[in-house]
Amino acid sequence: MNLALHILRQVANAVGLLIAVLVLNFCLIHAAPGDPALVIAGEMGGASADVIAALRVKYGLDKSLLEQLFTYLGSVATGDFGYSYYFNAPVTGLIAQRIPATLYLVLSALAISVVIGTLLGVVSARKPNGLFSQGVTIISLAGYAAPVFWTGLMLLLLFGSVWPILPVTGMTDVARPKVGFAHVVDILQHLVLPATTLALVFIAQYSRLARVNMIDALTADYVRTARAKGLPEFIVIGKHALRNTLIPIVTVAGLQFGHLFAGAVLVETVFSWPGMGRLVFESILRRDYPTLLAVLFFSAVLVMAANIITDLVYRLVDPRIRSGAR
Amino acid sequence: MTTIESTAIKPDKTALPVSAAASPTMAALRQFARSPAGVVGAVVLLFLMLATLFGPSIYGVDPLDIAGAPFTPPDADTWLGTDYLGRDILAGLLQGGRATLTVGGVAAIITIVIGVTIGSLAGFFGGPIDTALTKITEFFQILPPLLFAMVLVTLFGQTLTTVTIAIGVVSWPSAARLTRAEFLRLRNLDFVKASRAAGAGNGHLILLVVLPNALPPIIVSATLAIGVAILFEGGLSFLGLGDPNTMSWGLMLGQNRNYVLNAWWTVAFPGAAIFIAVLAISLIGDGVNDAINPRLRKRG
Repeated sequence: MNLALHILRQVANAVGLLIAVLVLNFCLIHAAPGDPALVIAGEMGGASADVIAALRVKYGLDKSLLEQLFTYLGSVATGDFGYSYYFNAPVTGLIAQRIPATLYLVLSALAISVVIGTLLGVVSARKPNGLFSQGVTIISLAGYAAPVFWTGLMLLLLFGSVWPILPVTGMTDVARPKVGFAHVVDILQHLVLPATTLALVFIAQYSRLARVNMIDALTADYVRTARAKGLPEFIVIGKHALRNTLIPIVTVAGLQFGHLFAGAVLVETVFSWPGMGRLVFESILRRDYPTLLAVLFFSAVLVMAANIITDLVYRLVDPRIRSGAR
Repeated sequence: MTTIESTAIKPDKTALPVSAAASPTMAALRQFARSPAGVVGAVVLLFLMLATLFGPSIYGVDPLDIAGAPFTPPDADTWLGTDYLGRDILAGLLQGGRATLTVGGVAAIITIVIGVTIGSLAGFFGGPIDTALTKITEFFQILPPLLFAMVLVTLFGQTLTTVTIAIGVVSWPSAARLTRAEFLRLRNLDFVKASRAAGAGNGHLILLVVLPNALPPIIVSATLAIGVAILFEGGLSFLGLGDPNTMSWGLMLGQNRNYVLNAWWTVAFPGAAIFIAVLAISLIGDGVNDAINPRLRKRG
């Protein structure tokens, strides 16, 4: 299939699903117990009956549900996700402010986990019953079972009091410059612990996946052929076998972007990382519904984007899909 | 399921004495008993369940009572120390395990019931029903599960019931996809056609003919769903979204997390409890997988 057409179709599908998320958001708000006008009044710190009636008119709460739904979709289309009384700012701006920090965290965790996970899996596949391989199996079991917020707290304990070589809270140091190379180094230092914590869960899964697929690949005919040709071992593994090991990892990594994002909410809370996760935590505490629902929507946008990118990467890694013969 | 059927397919030299392999369930249990990881997991989980069931009355300390000064380190009186209010951590662990493990189990059941229902209908009927149900599944998959659960609990109230239902409602898509794939594979096989020719209705075919044969992977995924649900309960409680009136491991972590640098024991032990429970469950999952899926065992 034509690639451009394919991408177009994916994007259309994504837009459909995202509109569905908005409708879900709308239904949730209306299904939840409590009158939205009273909730807003509560956020404002209490209001008289007149103010509440005015709020009803202002937000169109006196109109029919269907009309309200279209008003909501219309305002979202213009980038208006409502107003957060707690933060005293439009929700869209709040989220735009927080997206970069979350992306730094999520993308570096993704990179760390894919690289280290694959590496551990590939090395342990060479001797599936060896000591290293068993070590990797134990690490992957433990990494899967350890709650990410607990791993984070334990690392925070380790580097906060026992061995204080890394910053444990926030994204920057107040005393450091806010521009240039020093600023980048500052952020990177603060990123180490949160990104590692988040990556550990996924290293566990990818190393397991890489190991199984590598073991399969190493017994395949094309690997035997490559070896018989006299290719050096690192090319046999690094070029021929690795390609087929990466396909399932790319698939799973793409599918799990939502989990990665949800993990970021917990990790950001532990390390006071100023991203969307931290925003979620604060809006939960304040019952700030507009913010919470907007974050849910934007996380769905990120997941969709990740799915589309995965699909493209997939096509690059696996020529069979590229030619359309699945 | 019947004896006749299983003895007919069991003239396998490597099988155990015929009496022991009387039913596939028994055979699977025997296989499970041979997997050291699975047995260790089962023993640990059983221990945790017994501890939370009988522990509170044996230990005899109320987890909500003030047992000593706040942040008493572990000592002879309070074995695991006290938290920020001076409550006994061990008592909290014993009592809190009940909620955590119950939420895990019930939420996993909800996950599997929704997932299997949607997946089997989609896979069995195919066509427009499949398209519609697959679309719904796809829709639920783009919402990050834990975040969606947070939204649900925030909107509908922080009770143990809401938390359990929310976890079930957000976790089912993978079970649905798995079940659908199994049904797609099985629905055109001869034994299903034979039953249909014999006059079996759709309900009978789905529940009594196809589903039993689709069960092995579903059982494995159900086991793992318990572990995931426990982690989710922990995550929600950690963010302050658990039921504040019910002690749970996640709640203990969430309430004490700000004091981790001063009193490590308040956070280390509840987290370790979650860790051990989930580890035990995933070991059981591995064991079950080996027992009912012998083909994969060789892959080491």
